[in-house]
Amino acid sequence: MMDFDARRHRDDAEQGQLVPLYVLVNGRTTPRNASLDLATQVVALPADTTVLEPEYREILWQCRQWMSIAEISAYLQRPLTVVKVLVDILLEQDYVALGSAAQRTVYDRALLETLLGGLQRL
Amino acid sequence: MERTSAKVVVAGGFGAGKTTLVGSVSEISPLTTEEVMTEASVGVDDLAGLEEKTRTTVALDFGRITINAEVVLYLFGTPGQDRFWFMWDELAQGALGAVVLVDTRRLPASFASIDYFERRGIPFVVAVNTFYGECAYTDDEIRSALQLSADVPLTRCDARQRDSALDALIRLLQHVLAKLPTAA
Repeated sequence: MMDFDARRHRDDAEQGQLVPLYVLVNGRTTPRNASLDLATQVVALPADTTVLEPEYREILWQCRQWMSIAEISAYLQRPLTVVKVLVDILLEQDYVALGSAAQRTVYDRALLETLLGGLQRL
Repeated sequence: MERTSAKVVVAGGFGAGKTTLVGSVSEISPLTTEEVMTEASVGVDDLAGLEEKTRTTVALDFGRITINAEVVLYLFGTPGQDRFWFMWDELAQGALGAVVLVDTRRLPASFASIDYFERRGIPFVVAVNTFYGECAYTDDEIRSALQLSADVPLTRCDARQRDSALDALIRLLQHVLAKLPTAA
């Protein structure tokens, strides 16, 4: 057990992670908002962010413009599920807004036609 | 301002050219993100095992095409290893469709992808990657070998070429639109 803890802290320190991820997300293991998807768009809302932990501020900085969950995860080099939970917490506290979830767009003919037209113009 | 995202899954066997295709059409350098799972791999949305040392990661490559100020399309390559099937569900959920890349030298490697999308009723096109030169088989031979239903589009594509890769995506969008129920 001792060995295992030491190993974890060494790993985290190597990644510049001072606070273990499960502390950062306050023990939450799943996002409450089940609609959060890899492609879900996130944008920061105007707010005072100085009270937030650096990990949350990093996300808000990335989301000055619309950004997907997957991109946030890639730029911050954090696992997708962790990013979903962090975004979920920011969402509950009105720091961010979401775009239309990808799940709702599958049968949207107008959207599909926009996509097709857009690809044909490239 | 509204913002809507759409997803396309790029699937195929190991080495079929998924990452190459994503890179050819993406406006950003393909990004890699990762998901964590415990040894038990009970589910994607579960961090409960993060404090254990048996965690492992699955890398995902993806790219982006901005259609206009309000609509953006994401392309997600499936993880190459079969043992990461659980990740496919996350990718496929809400995806408008899939491009299954096929390397004719390794046809059996694409069976699993085709089967996955067929079973879930997710529209897909099969794109034979001509990366390795001219394909020696006719469309009928490939269809027969892959046991493709007649309504699944089959196209050729060089995943390295932007126009060719875009064409595979256009074929997919046309296919999805054609399958859409007419009366909403």
